Amino acid sequence: MGPTESSGIAVPAFGTKGKLWLGLLGALIVAGLAAWGYQLSTGLIATGMRNVFSWGLYIMMFVLFVGLSAGGLIISSAPKFFHSHRYEGFARLGVLVSLACITVAGLLILPDIGRPERLYQFFTSPDFRSPMVWDFGIVMLYGTLNLWYLWLLTRRDLAAAGSRLAFGRKDTEAGRERDRKLMFWTASVALPTAVALHSVTGWIFATQIGRGDWFSPLVAPVFIAKALVSGLGLLLVVAVLADRFTRFRVDREELASLGKVLGIFLAFHVVYLLAAERLPHAWADHFGFWAITESFLIGESAYFWLWTVLGGALPLGMLAVPSLRKRVSVIVTAGALAVVGTMFEGIRLVFTGYEIANIDAAPGISLGGTYTGLTTDIWATTGSYTPTLIEIVVTLGIIAIGALIVTVGMRYVPMQQPDGQHAYATDGGNQEHERN
Amino acid sequence: MTNYGLVIDQERCIGCQACAVSCKQENNVPMGQFWNRVLTEGGDKLDTPSGGYPEDGDDGTLDMHYQPTACQHCENAPCVKVCPVNATYTRDDGIVEIDYDKCIGCRYCMAACPYNARVFNWDEPEHVPEEGTGDVEARPQGVVEKCTFCSHRVEEGLDPACVVNCPADARIFGDLDEETSTVSKYVDTYETDRLLEDRGTDPKTYYIRGEMSPGRPQTSDKLESELDDEDNDEDDDAMPYVLPAESGGGD
Repeated sequence: MGPTESSGIAVPAFGTKGKLWLGLLGALIVAGLAAWGYQLSTGLIATGMRNVFSWGLYIMMFVLFVGLSAGGLIISSAPKFFHSHRYEGFARLGVLVSLACITVAGLLILPDIGRPERLYQFFTSPDFRSPMVWDFGIVMLYGTLNLWYLWLLTRRDLAAAGSRLAFGRKDTEAGRERDRKLMFWTASVALPTAVALHSVTGWIFATQIGRGDWFSPLVAPVFIAKALVSGLGLLLVVAVLADRFTRFRVDREELASLGKVLGIFLAFHVVYLLAAERLPHAWADHFGFWAITESFLIGESAYFWLWTVLGGALPLGMLAVPSLRKRVSVIVTAGALAVVGTMFEGIRLVFTGYEIANIDAAPGISLGGTYTGLTTDIWATTGSYTPTLIEIVVTLGIIAIGALIVTVGMRYVPMQQPDGQHAYATDGGNQEHERN
Repeated sequence: MTNYGLVIDQERCIGCQACAVSCKQENNVPMGQFWNRVLTEGGDKLDTPSGGYPEDGDDGTLDMHYQPTACQHCENAPCVKVCPVNATYTRDDGIVEIDYDKCIGCRYCMAACPYNARVFNWDEPEHVPEEGTGDVEARPQGVVEKCTFCSHRVEEGLDPACVVNCPADARIFGDLDEETSTVSKYVDTYETDRLLEDRGTDPKTYYIRGEMSPGRPQTSDKLESELDDEDNDEDDDAMPYVLPAESGGGD
């Protein structure tokens, strides 16, 4: 075990628990594939979506996972961009989680597509006016960038450990020096790419004049805030779980520090941006002081409360109390709640677009479901949606692929600085520069 | 340039649903789907007015209009702009159409359309009769479809099926770029609304409300532009024979 331990591999070998975990993930993936196969044979009628409410769980979770993939990359690359050693312990795990999440997000589009076999049209006949084409491009770029970055961060250690994943690179001092510079440049590309990814995903919605709250210039900045909140929340949860179940070790100081950062992100998103979005509408729509106040403070749906209270006020409160916020259990709970809250924010966004039809005169819009022949059940004047079991199983299967990527990554890629290596991966400039 | 548009005279519309049904037949629209719907502006249910009956010698407040609603064939069509693969496009004659071979079924166009004019084939489309009706391209499971202004008829010099089959002559189809066309004249002469004008989609479907127009002038099922040549010499003799044949055959 000695050599593997010093190679920084978090999971040197899968034990009984590890194998059980892999078995569980495998079962979820197989179930998801089977459910997708069923959905392909029946059509999207197997989902809860219909003509009025034509995007559902897949798109809601796509939005969530695009956001989740932000945290890791930003925590890894922002310090490197500023030539700082901070949060070094989270850098590699962050990129691995980011890679897993963007893969999940990309895969979630597949079951949402009516004819996935025609996806090649993205290459043969793209319309560059479409925000979906922009998003397709940026998701591909971002995924590739994550893969490259993870390899760049670890390839000299992989070479030192004799791993084939080093792809022939040697562990030399000159090589490490060159990689440090490459890391700076990669970080300087990764940060704007992350901002672009979340903005473009926001613009998919924010450009649409026909769907209620979607058409708002604030949507893109809110997506950035959501990404910071949920991405960092997930990274903290995964790091603590890795600390508990693998050889990965979390630096308590850094963890507590990142907990504080999460609190700041939460305050910015759930308090400030939300208030900025709601106040003008509340003020314009109502006349009396209390009517304005009420409309400003009180949300319209359960998703709103699940997001703002369970996923906003509660974790923010936990992280605000000095005696609580250093506890690992509090940080993990707050991180998990932040992810859950962001999920409900995405669900709420999709609902606000589809619940109310702009033209809702009777009999309404034909739903396109199966006509039972008994009532006029093919019509609807409002949108309603409940995901089916098929959608849930497919989604869980895809999320399991993400978990598998993280698990396998921890088995084969060193997540932490191997013993005996001096601090590595800091700056793109060099020591001489800093001394000058 | 040709730029096709539709004028619907809501003062003439009697809410008979003939346009909705003939659209379904002509375009082989699957069970459970409608490209063209006749909505009731008034009460909560189909064919119900808002307001109340006259009581105690007062005037009643009953009010009801019919609003036939299909694709508005917008100039600034959001569905065309969002389609990632150019499956939805605007033809040179202004008709917004879908290339079903390109459509990947992402339904972004349905999110973009403020009129809910588009429907998606959630499963294998079902037709009655099973072999289908009309002379149009088949649409498989997994694609979006919608009103095409009956482009297959327009290409043959015929008015759309909903226009020809309106017994109240409430639907007038023609070239908005042609100053002398009936649609252009009606848009100039009568007070017209377009649906959700505030969204800036610039629809090419106009609704007349207030003063009733004379409606669709020709009884032939040909496009107005096609009539001009033969109109004058054929009109007097041919019309009596055309009429019964038309009402019998239908489209």
